[in-house]
Amino acid sequence: MDWDKLVQLIVNGLTLGSVYALVALGFSMVYGILKLLNLAHGDVLMIGAFIGWGVLGWLGGAQDPVVAVWLLIVLMILAAMVGGGFLGVAIERFAYRPLRRAPRIAPLISALGVSFFIQNSVLLLFGANFRSYESFDLVDVEVGVSVGPLNIWILRIVVMAAALAMMLGLWILVTRTKLGKAMRATAFDREAAAMMGIDVDRVIVKTFFIGSALAGAAGVLVGLVFGSINHFMGFGYGLKGFTAAVVGGIGSIPGAMFGGLFIGLAEAFSVGYIEDLTRGRLGSAFSDLVVFLILVIFMLVRPQGIFGKPEVKKV
Amino acid sequence: MTSDALHGPLLDIRGLSLSFGGLRVLDELDFAVGEREIVSVIGPNGAGKTTLFNVITGVYPPEAGDVLFDGASIVGLDPHKIARRGIARTFQTLRLFLNMTVKENVMAAAYGHTRAGIVRSVLRTPGMRREEREIGQLAEDRLAFFGDRLVGYRWGQPAYSLSYANRRRLEIARATAANPRLLLLDEPAAGMNPVETNEITELISRLREEGGFTILVIEHDMHVVEGISDRVVALDHGVKIAEGTYERVATDPRVVEAYLGTSAIEDT
Amino acid sequence: MSTGPQSPEPPRIGVDEWVASSEERRARSVADRLQERLERTPAAAKLVALALPFAIFPLLVDSDYLKQVGIDTLIFVLLALGLNVAVGWVGLLDLGFVAFFGLGAYLYASVASEYAGRHWEAQFAVPAIAIAVAAAGFLVGLPSRRLVGDYLAIVTLFFLQIWLVVLINASFTRGPNGISDIYPLKLFGREIVSLNGYYYVTFAAFVVIVSFLYLLGRSRTGRAWRAVREDELAAELMTMPVNRLKLMAFAVGAGIAGVAGALFAPAQGAVFPASFDIVLLITVYAMVVLGGAGSLFGVTVGAVLINASLEALRDPDDASWLFYGVVVLALILLMRPRWLPVAVLGATAVFGVVVHEVAEQVRPSLVSGTTFGTASVDRLVDSWVLVPEGAVGPDGLPAGALARLAYIGLIAAILALTLIRSPLWRAIALVPVLYLTFCVWENILLAQPAVARFVLIGAMLVALMAVRPQGLFGKQRVEVV
Repeated sequence: MDWDKLVQLIVNGLTLGSVYALVALGFSMVYGILKLLNLAHGDVLMIGAFIGWGVLGWLGGAQDPVVAVWLLIVLMILAAMVGGGFLGVAIERFAYRPLRRAPRIAPLISALGVSFFIQNSVLLLFGANFRSYESFDLVDVEVGVSVGPLNIWILRIVVMAAALAMMLGLWILVTRTKLGKAMRATAFDREAAAMMGIDVDRVIVKTFFIGSALAGAAGVLVGLVFGSINHFMGFGYGLKGFTAAVVGGIGSIPGAMFGGLFIGLAEAFSVGYIEDLTRGRLGSAFSDLVVFLILVIFMLVRPQGIFGKPEVKKV
Repeated sequence: MTSDALHGPLLDIRGLSLSFGGLRVLDELDFAVGEREIVSVIGPNGAGKTTLFNVITGVYPPEAGDVLFDGASIVGLDPHKIARRGIARTFQTLRLFLNMTVKENVMAAAYGHTRAGIVRSVLRTPGMRREEREIGQLAEDRLAFFGDRLVGYRWGQPAYSLSYANRRRLEIARATAANPRLLLLDEPAAGMNPVETNEITELISRLREEGGFTILVIEHDMHVVEGISDRVVALDHGVKIAEGTYERVATDPRVVEAYLGTSAIEDT
Repeated sequence: MSTGPQSPEPPRIGVDEWVASSEERRARSVADRLQERLERTPAAAKLVALALPFAIFPLLVDSDYLKQVGIDTLIFVLLALGLNVAVGWVGLLDLGFVAFFGLGAYLYASVASEYAGRHWEAQFAVPAIAIAVAAAGFLVGLPSRRLVGDYLAIVTLFFLQIWLVVLINASFTRGPNGISDIYPLKLFGREIVSLNGYYYVTFAAFVVIVSFLYLLGRSRTGRAWRAVREDELAAELMTMPVNRLKLMAFAVGAGIAGVAGALFAPAQGAVFPASFDIVLLITVYAMVVLGGAGSLFGVTVGAVLINASLEALRDPDDASWLFYGVVVLALILLMRPRWLPVAVLGATAVFGVVVHEVAEQVRPSLVSGTTFGTASVDRLVDSWVLVPEGAVGPDGLPAGALARLAYIGLIAAILALTLIRSPLWRAIALVPVLYLTFCVWENILLAQPAVARFVLIGAMLVALMAVRPQGLFGKQRVEVV
C-alpha cells in the first residue's frame, strides 16, 4: 500500500469535495425553495472563476500583485461572490420568474438556454483558450503544512477552510436568522408562507443571491487550486455538484456538505486507482463513470439521499 | 363478473394502518363493502378519508393490514394494476388531463381494457380500428350519462375550458370508462351549488342502477350522504368510530363529538 | 396536434362580450391571425403540405452545397421528431438524447466501414440499428423511470457525458480521431453515391417516421403518453402503466435518433465524438421548442428554421441579411399598433445618424473601423453604426475591450428593457437599445459567426420560454397551480 499516494488522494478529494459542496449548496437551496433544477448553476461558478481571474489581472497579476497575497485572494473571492450573486439574481428574475406558472419543463429549457448563452458569451468575449491563475507564482508550492512525509500546499488548506467557513456561515444564517426562518418556511410551503406575510419573491431572490455567491466563490477556489479555467468548466462542476446534492439529500445543508466531500473523495480515489484496479483497461478519464454510477445507485436505492426524508406524494 | 354475497364482500379492509412522520393517519381500520352497495365515508377534515382512498388505490403502501378486492389481496400491487382489477377513483382536487379534449380524457382511461400496441396502432389493423371505434363509443356513452352537459361540441373542447361542476362530472365519466367494479368518489359534490348537489345525489344512485358499480364515496354534504348511502362509515383520526345506517351514524354521540368537539356534548 | 372532432363554431360558454372583444383586439396582430389560420388546418394536411417542398427540393437547386444542407436538415428533422416523443408528448426532459444519435452513427460505422471490415446493406443495417438503439434507450430509461422530471434531466445529461468519455477514451471507437472510412449506403446491392440519392433515402426515412409518429400519436399509446404528461398520478390510477409508457417513449425516441445516426454516418463518411456533444443537444432542443413541442408540424418547421439559420450564420453576408431581417420581422410581428415598428425603426435610423455624426466630431477613432460583412446591408450600416478601431478615448481603451463592454451593456440593457411596463416608454427605450444591438452585431457577433450563432440560440431559448413557451406552432397549455 502506497500511503503517500493515499494521503495525497484524500487531500485532493477533500479539496475537490469542498468545491462540490459549495456548488451542491446552491443547487440544494434553490431546489428546496422553487423545486427547480438550476441547470445554469455551474455556469455561475464559471463566471465567478472569470471574475476572480479579472480581479487578479487588474491587481497586477500573480507574479507581481500590488496588494498582499491574502488580501488579493480575499478580494478575488468577494468580487466573485458579488458578481455570481447578482448573476444568479438576474437569472432568476429573467429566466425563471416569468415561468413560475408555465409547464414544468419550460424553466428547465430556459435554464438550458441561459447556460448555453453564458458559456458562448464567455467564449465570444474571451476565446476558447484556457486561462490560468498561475497560482504557483502567487503562493509557492513549497509553502504548506507538513503531514508526516507529505507537504500540503497552503492554498489547498485555504480552499478547504474558506469552503468550510462559508458553509458554517450559511448554516448559521439558515438556522439562526429571520431570513433563514423565512427561507425554511418558503421551502416548506410557499403559499402558506406568503399568507403569513413573508415576501416570497424577496426570499427567492435572496436565496438565489446566496446560492450563486457560493458558486461564484467556488469558481475562484477552483482557479486557485486547479490553475486553469475556461468557458466550459461549469458543466462538469455543475454535474458533480448536483450529484453531491442528491447523495447528501437535496434540500439539506449538512447533506450537501457531506455529499460534496463524498463525491470529491470518490472521484479522487477513482482517478488514483481505476487504472490499477482495471489493469489499465480504463484510464483516469473514466473516473466520471464512477461518480455517475454512485448517482444512479443513489437514485434507485435511496432517492432522498443520506440526510433527506422521503417525500410524500400529494394527492 | 359477479361475486355474490356467498363469496364475501367486494372490498374488504382489514386492520389497515398508516402513519406519516409519527402521526397515525389510519389506525387498525376494518370495514367491508359488498357488491353493488353504496357506502359513504364521513369524518372531519384530517380524519384519514382521502388517505384511505390512496391506500386502497395503491398510492401509499400501508404499514399494516390488508386490502382484499374480490377476495384477493391487492396490497403491494402497482396502482395501475389495482385500477385494472376494477377500482377507479375520482380526486378531491380534480386531476384531469387538462390539455386533452373532453373525449380524449375519457378514452384515455380505457387503456387498461384495450390491447393495440405500437405496431398495430401504426399499421392501423382492423382490430385496432375496431377497438378505437369501441372506446370512442364508450366515451360518448359515458359522457352522455350526464345528460347534454358533456356531449356534442364539448367532446372536442380541452378539459381546461370546462366549468368546475363539469370538471367534476368529467372526472366521474373518466373513472367509469376504466370499467371498474368499484368506484371511489372523493367528495363528488364539493364546491357545487344546491341544484348541482341534488343532481349528483341522483346521479350516484343511477351509477349503481344503470352502471352496476359498487360505490365508496367520501362526502361532507350530509344531504348527499343521507340520500345515497346504504351504509355509512365514520372516521376520526384514522379510527372507525361508527358504522351503520345513516340514521344510526348521524346520531352516534362519538360522531357528533368528532364533528363538533367535546364541549358540544357537555353543553347538551 | 389536435384530435377528435371539432365542430366549426361552437357556442362559447363562459365568454362574455368583454372577453370576446378583447380577444378580437388581440387577434389583430398579423402573427395571431396566421396562427388562427394554422390551428384550423388539420395536422395531416399541414404535414403533407410540408413534405411537398422537401420532395422537390433537389430538383430545384443545383448546388451540391445546398443539397448537402438539405440532407443535414432532414437528419435534424428526424432528430427533432425523435426528441419530441419524450419532450413534447410525455413531458420528459431527456438530456442524453444525442447519445442515441451518436450510437446510431457509430453502429453504422461498425457494420459498414473499412475499419470494421464489413459492409451491411442499408435495408438490413438501418432497421437493425433502429432496434438496437431503441433497446439502448430502454436500458438507459430503466434507472431513470422512477425519477421526476428534474432528476431525470440530470441523470440523462450525466449519461451523455459518460457516453462522450467512452467515445473519446475507448480504443474501439478510435478516440477523438473518430472512424473516417465509412462505406456509403448500399441499398439492395446498389451503392448510393450521388447527393440526390442520399437526399431521397433520407427523405424516405422522414416520410416513414413522420407517418409512424402521426399514427402513433392518434392511438391508444399516444393518448396515454399525453395523459402521463398532463398528470402522471392520475394516469397511473386510470389504468395506464406510467413507467412502461415512459420507457416506451424513451425507446421510440432513441430508435428514431438511431435511424438519424445511421443515415448521418454514411452521409458524412466519418464519425467523430465531437459531433454528438451538448452543442448538438441544445440545438435539437431549440428546434423542438421553437416549432412547438408536441406538434409534429411545429417540430419539423422548427428544425428547418433553426438549421437554415445556422447555415446562414456561417457566412457573414448571409448572417447580416438574416439578422437584420429577423429583427425587423420580429418588430413588425410583435408590436402593435402597426405603425409602431415603423416609427421605432425610423427613430433608430435617425438616432444612429446623430450618434454617428457626434462621435465622428468628438472622437473620430470611434467610427474609423470597418465592419466584417460585405453584404450591401453591411455597406449601408457601415457609415451608421459605431465601429471603433485602435485605441479609443483618453485612456486608450482598446477597441476590443470597448466592444466587450458594449456586449455586456447590451445584455443589461435588454434585460432592463423587459422591466419597463409602459408600452410608450418601452418603445422609446427600444430605440437606443436597437442601435446598440446593431453596433454589437457589427463589432463582435459578426466577427465570430461560429460562436455568435450559439449565443443567439441560447438567447432565443430564454426569450421564447418567457414570451411563448408553447413555441411558434404549439398549442398553449394550461397548467394547474
